[in-house]
Amino acid sequence: MAVQPQKRQGFALSYIEVRGVNKFFTVRKKRSRGALFREKETVHALKDLSLDIEQGELVGYIGPNGAGKSTTVKILSGILTPEEGTVTVGGRVPWISRKNHVRRIGVVFGQRSQLWWDVPIQDSFSLLRDIYRVPDGAYQKRLGELTEALQLGDLLRTPLRLCSLGQRMRAELCGSLLHSPELLFLDEPTIGLDAVSKLALRDFLRWENGQRGTTILLTTHDMEDITALSSRVMVLGHGRLLYDGAMRDLLARYDTQRTAAVRYEAPVELSGLPAGCQVARQGETFLVTYSPQAVAAGEVLERLRLAGPIAELTIQPQSVDHLIARMYREMEL
Amino acid sequence: MNTFRLYLKSMSMLIRSQLQYPLSFLTQTLAQLVMEAGELLAVTLLVHRFDHLNQWTGGDLYFFFGLMSVTFYLTEFWGRGLTGAFSGMVRSGQLDTLLTRPRGVLTQVLCSAVDPRRITCVAVGVVSLAMGSRMSAVRWSAGNILLLAESIFCGFWMVLGLFMIEGVLCIYSVKSVEMANTLTYGGRSACQYPVDAYPRPLRAVFTVIAPFALVMHVPASQILGKPVFGWPGWAAYLAPLAGLVVFGVMYTVFARAIRFYRSTGS
Repeated sequence: MAVQPQKRQGFALSYIEVRGVNKFFTVRKKRSRGALFREKETVHALKDLSLDIEQGELVGYIGPNGAGKSTTVKILSGILTPEEGTVTVGGRVPWISRKNHVRRIGVVFGQRSQLWWDVPIQDSFSLLRDIYRVPDGAYQKRLGELTEALQLGDLLRTPLRLCSLGQRMRAELCGSLLHSPELLFLDEPTIGLDAVSKLALRDFLRWENGQRGTTILLTTHDMEDITALSSRVMVLGHGRLLYDGAMRDLLARYDTQRTAAVRYEAPVELSGLPAGCQVARQGETFLVTYSPQAVAAGEVLERLRLAGPIAELTIQPQSVDHLIARMYREMEL
Repeated sequence: MNTFRLYLKSMSMLIRSQLQYPLSFLTQTLAQLVMEAGELLAVTLLVHRFDHLNQWTGGDLYFFFGLMSVTFYLTEFWGRGLTGAFSGMVRSGQLDTLLTRPRGVLTQVLCSAVDPRRITCVAVGVVSLAMGSRMSAVRWSAGNILLLAESIFCGFWMVLGLFMIEGVLCIYSVKSVEMANTLTYGGRSACQYPVDAYPRPLRAVFTVIAPFALVMHVPASQILGKPVFGWPGWAAYLAPLAGLVVFGVMYTVFARAIRFYRSTGS
């Protein structure tokens, strides 16, 4: 499945433009017995990667572990230099004018803190203000805006170490946005968060993207994040872009399975189901799996109804996680 | 905000955060005191037993020891980001976070840690310096004061430079840092005694590679009125500048290492 970058009108540069990027890593293997030097192995992390992102987009970036997602983010944020290919972000080459580039972007690595552990959150923020040289007026305004949107007000005087994971992630987000970046990279922002925190975080990202037009590239394994937030998704596998388009279309392509769970008032024998249906039992409940493309739901229901009086019936699509897992399998990731 | 003010602000924030655990801070600071006082005791025993080492009297030895303690531990105090924290940052990937900020990497590394527990080591050094200068009847002329200040200042940058070796090796993913330690901690242990107490190869190492002799011993011996290599007086003012050279060279190497890191990744 070859993927072309999304078609654009005219000749204007995209905000983020990646063309034919190749990135290699040299990995030192463990020294084998008796060998004087460790063997080296070259890993081809990104293979001829090309993509376009426009200003103000909120794009989901998914793929299994080791697909090259973090490498892409590191290249786009100027930490790494690719061996081949061209990259521009807002007309800048990230790795050439690093300082000039990074003052306009924000990066949140989900597993790595950029705030100081033992000091009150507001002290960390004030230091970030100095690092980014944010003028005082702009800082106060932005801080007020962010603390309100992220509900951080009471937490500002609390040292980071006393915060819960959800509170910490909100503080991290706030810290990475204080200098009003035009582009935000988020690496697994909802990892380990409870349901309430997750929902609040997604609301905030939608707000930041909608209100300020901040371009957001969201790397995650949580498919709920993607379905809730972004209309566009890019799938990366083995360093290649495998899909770039609407999340809806991606799901539709792999959404080929429904499960009807049915419980009867009295024990029954199920028979005469349309071809292609699979039946499994879970206690008193029958799980009938069918493909909506091959079989009409009515046909299945008709057969289920004829078997006896139904006490309970639900029909469910496969979870997004299942769809993605199947997609990875079919793409041989 | 300029770099130096950013550094001061970071330091004050970090020190305040360490004082959040007063008991732990106090005990660790006392532990440092015991350790460094032990080192000083070794000098005392040496002086008591042998009276002198080559042409150096007991007072001279206290002076050399004090100069080393003050310089080395001031560096560990204020340069903790490089002397202690940096290699961990490379391994944990925290270096990536620094690279996403619009400031120099070295600035941010230096702003990232401070070790105020070393204050007791510095204090022991000051006491030893005072004892030594009293016993050896040092005349504190303006020139001598300048020499001492220059020696400590240049020594600070030299030790920082030497600690950068470990950081650089870390980036090139060499695990064994013992080699780097021979120059830093090894240099401190060896060169708290005057360098002419050692055989020629060691003397060469601590003059040319890790020039503790040029940065500390040449000016100190001038202050004590017994120039170590028999060099003229003005040479004592020039020699400590070797420390700045070490820092300059290592800064270049460090910048190259960061470039290497950014081209190869982790």
